[in-house]
Amino acid sequence: MDEGQPEDMPVGVVDLDNSTTSRKLTRLLDAFQTSHVVAHYPNVTEARRAIQRNEIYAYLYIPQHTESNLLASRQPEISFYYSMHSLTAGALLFRDLKTVATLGSAAVGKATMTAKGMNEDRIMAFLQPITIDLHPIENPWTNYNFYLSAVLVPGVIMLFIFILTPYVLGTELKFGTARELMARAGNNIYVTVAGKLLPYTLGFMSIMMIYLLYVFGALHFPTAGGVGRMLALSFLAVLPSQAFGAFCFGLMPSLRMSMSICSLWAVLSFSIAGNAFPVPAMDAPLQSASWLFPLRHYFMIYQASVFNDYSLSGVWLNIIVLLMFCLLPLTVLQRMKTTFNTYTYMP
Amino acid sequence: MTIIKDMIGNLTHRFRNMCDVWAEEMRRIFHDEGMILFFIVLPLTYPILYSWVYNNEVVRDVPVAVVDDSRSQLSREFIRLCDATADVEIAGYAADMDEARRMVGEQKVRGIYHIPSDFAIRVNRGEQSPIAVYTDMSLMLNYKAIFQTATSVSTAMNSKIQIKLAGNYTDREDEITTAPLAFHEIAIFNPTGGYGNFILPAVLILILQQVLILGVGLMAGTARENGHYAEYRNLKARGIGTLGTLTGKSLCYFMLFSLICLYLTVIVPRLFSFVSLAQPMDLLAVMLPFVLACIFFAITVSVAVHYRENVLLIVVFTSVPMLFLSGVSWPQSNIPWFWQSISWLIPSTYGIRSFVRMNTMGATLAVCMTELRALWAQVAF
Repeated sequence: MDEGQPEDMPVGVVDLDNSTTSRKLTRLLDAFQTSHVVAHYPNVTEARRAIQRNEIYAYLYIPQHTESNLLASRQPEISFYYSMHSLTAGALLFRDLKTVATLGSAAVGKATMTAKGMNEDRIMAFLQPITIDLHPIENPWTNYNFYLSAVLVPGVIMLFIFILTPYVLGTELKFGTARELMARAGNNIYVTVAGKLLPYTLGFMSIMMIYLLYVFGALHFPTAGGVGRMLALSFLAVLPSQAFGAFCFGLMPSLRMSMSICSLWAVLSFSIAGNAFPVPAMDAPLQSASWLFPLRHYFMIYQASVFNDYSLSGVWLNIIVLLMFCLLPLTVLQRMKTTFNTYTYMP
Repeated sequence: MTIIKDMIGNLTHRFRNMCDVWAEEMRRIFHDEGMILFFIVLPLTYPILYSWVYNNEVVRDVPVAVVDDSRSQLSREFIRLCDATADVEIAGYAADMDEARRMVGEQKVRGIYHIPSDFAIRVNRGEQSPIAVYTDMSLMLNYKAIFQTATSVSTAMNSKIQIKLAGNYTDREDEITTAPLAFHEIAIFNPTGGYGNFILPAVLILILQQVLILGVGLMAGTARENGHYAEYRNLKARGIGTLGTLTGKSLCYFMLFSLICLYLTVIVPRLFSFVSLAQPMDLLAVMLPFVLACIFFAITVSVAVHYRENVLLIVVFTSVPMLFLSGVSWPQSNIPWFWQSISWLIPSTYGIRSFVRMNTMGATLAVCMTELRALWAQVAF
């Protein structure tokens, strides 16, 4: 995803007019950054088949007599068909095709008005009295990578933590070393769990650091919020995930079951984090459920305080919830103690 | 005659062995709570959950703040028209940009429309007059809604202004003035541009493959932990070869997953009214090799599994990359060749592509021949 935005995506043209105007439109379309005209088709059916074969994502249809109708002010119609089966490709090509059509339309008006002796300013003011001045804050390139990697990669790291935490706790049971571990910790479950998980905390933190260094240092992702918040946030990603893993293991001391639950939970969080499809657009029960997923809170805090530079007051609740996740294992520690001391592993 | 009899005897013997393996595998699946979780509960509930998440398909009424410095009839018209669209809701008015910015920070609104103080004056003077649109870029869909609404509303208002200026006599003249070259924009295959219709077919197919890898891997891991080789020798003692074991096991998975496949590709899309245009026979023709390819892929992967928990790690990590490799989110034509070649090894790449094409785009089998051949090649491999 080096490009940030897909470039030169294949589009087709069905040109039944074969006139200067139609060729001009085709050339114009080809010149855009996102689209690349790869083929001409004799009719619409052929072009549709090509879309179904995945050879092109969209096509422009220019019917017969377009040019002559245009010059005679008979309002010819051109159409563009774009496939929305891939939203990314569809939305981007829609933009290009629409621009082409608008420009084609404007070119006529411009020619007429130039002939009437108007100057450039007047023509533009007539064609487009109100203009839209777009400011995409923090991502003026509409870089797609910022959306994906900024949440997916931490999500994968958190997923890793989710699964690995019950794994490291569970393998103690599995290989029968749990009692030895407890003995070393003086039969204190707090010391056991904290001691067992601390090296992993450090390990995961360093993984997060490497990720941050690469993404913000080498790839220059936008960080309006600054370095301090970023570090604090990565801490808030690692700890609650570990806590959640430990909580699951405490609840279900079976290695396999707790790992399964953790992984299912974590995989689901990619969807419910709402970094692609926003949470407010989901059904109400799901909106409430999204509070149970650490990745959701991570995303909320990330977009408010790292990606944008807003005050933390907008997301304080998310921070509190993440901290509460950290306290979760306390509720099951006693249970874990009995588990460690008495259980033997049954495959 | 004896040769033929021998051959038949041999074949029936082999067949019976295969059935033994099949029965054994079936029994093991239904006696293991973990297996039931992964083979039955997971494929039944996950698609429902995912479909539910994306069921609303589109984002409506994205909240936007307005800073109206112009306070004119024209600026109010712009705001009213924006509020009236399906995509944007004017959630509040801010006195200045600072206040609007704070509203964005508090997550109350997702963008700002700023109408400068000389907006109406400039329009009436016959100059170009800009409206500034600021969007929070943390969500692509919100950005799209806010920007596209502003563009379409301004286009509509522009046409009205043009008509006023042109001084035409008839309505037809007005139409031609505003759009000398009319154009139709037609979204095909997913006309609402819904998110669920876009992502779900791919996710369903991926679930099928990942569940298979998980299940088969877990079975293999369990068997290995319980002394896989002893069992293997036991089978060998009964005269069941590798081939018999393989076909027996595959048959067992195949039976189970044909049902799950039916559920995923036919029932779930209809349950949530997603686009589903595939012809039954075509679907069968693609899903048959896909399920088989997945089974063999899963068995191949399971060879590498020593502890049954490890397979979880493998599956969970590969899920997201595999979805990308199929070219659903990021256009296939723009995936680097290196990743493309890796994707050739994975059944889901072709499974997703052909299913998306047939289900969402109503393609016929002939169109998916490349994918089909690739799937059979994977089966053969």
